[in-house]
Amino acid sequence: MTASRENCIVCQIVGNKIPSKKIYEDEFVMAVLDVNGSNPGHCFVMPKNHYPILEQVPDIEIGRLFQASNKISSAIFESLGVQGTNIFVANGIPAGQTVAHFTINVIPRKENDGINLQWQPRQLNEEEMSTVELKLKEQAKNIGHFEKEDKKPRVHAPKPAALSEEEEEYFERQMRRLP
Amino acid sequence: MAEQISQEQLRELQEKIKQMSPEELKEFQKKQCIFCQIVAGKIQAKKIYEDGNVAAILDINPANPGHILLLTKEHYSIMPQIPDDEIAHVFMVAKSLSNSMLKGIDAQGTNIIVANGVAAGQRAQHFMAHIIPRKENDGLRFELPQKTMEESEINAVGNRLAAALGGAAEEEKPAQRQEQKKEVAQAKKEPRQKKESDSNINLDDISRILGAK
Repeated sequence: MTASRENCIVCQIVGNKIPSKKIYEDEFVMAVLDVNGSNPGHCFVMPKNHYPILEQVPDIEIGRLFQASNKISSAIFESLGVQGTNIFVANGIPAGQTVAHFTINVIPRKENDGINLQWQPRQLNEEEMSTVELKLKEQAKNIGHFEKEDKKPRVHAPKPAALSEEEEEYFERQMRRLP
Repeated sequence: MAEQISQEQLRELQEKIKQMSPEELKEFQKKQCIFCQIVAGKIQAKKIYEDGNVAAILDINPANPGHILLLTKEHYSIMPQIPDDEIAHVFMVAKSLSNSMLKGIDAQGTNIIVANGVAAGQRAQHFMAHIIPRKENDGLRFELPQKTMEESEINAVGNRLAAALGGAAEEEKPAQRQEQKKEVAQAKKEPRQKKESDSNINLDDISRILGAK
């Protein structure tokens, strides 16, 4: 995987080829104002490296991206006099992802601002709940080996960890779903 | 809240809360908090994952089957109160849980949603990240309408945010995670230094949550 993609609009923003209103930047992360945001102050927080979906973003960068999102959310509270903030991620087309570069939305909120991130709760019976519980627990057994922060400061962006063949195929399948 | 309380009781309660020190406030919140009891195992829940810092449970009122609530074990009412190293850990776990949904229950996508404050849709007094498995045509519709802003407004808002973040970009240092359990123990002994703004947000938020419903 290359660090940036020529035809990716987010990579072009990160590379300053498309003008944007930048509000935050560090080694891994860039945050810009959404000029057609849902509310004034709506921000996009993006990895500088090109990763289409969440699962491809290395742990270290996940940490930095959400730390930056949290700082921005605090800055929104402090400087824009809002009543709340949302952190919103759409991962995959069925989840509403429209650009093939992982992005976190940080959204300032006020009462009755026309944004809807609510849902109608579904009623599942005990059997349905137990089935889904077992399936997810089985997968979650493998969770817990996180890439810790490097001891040495990084100069260059890291290469994504090598994927097993099975995972490569799996991601390829997922990628085809993306625009 | 289960019981109805009168306006007067509510006012008294809010007054009492305002006079509490941050430590007292946190203790008070913990006692009231159903999710602290779930984390402690006092209330049953379908736990999917657990480590020293977080617990992931199935939402009993899911948006879709497999909808997970990812909770910090420590009681934080909103995300801005959470220290950087815990933020990193929470979302590394969130990424893994999203992956579990893609692989384990044939999800075709996932949403991650955090709500800070009642206006943002927060219903509980305990920080949580919702991780929602998605499939095509599953009936869920999140609406983020686009609004047009004047160039001048964009610049003004951007400058205010950049200024508020000014220090943060410079001071950014690699957060180092220690052994998880040690960290939790330490966090309990020495509460993180709080910025003044933290406690303001906190108080407002708590009173709003208490005032709601």
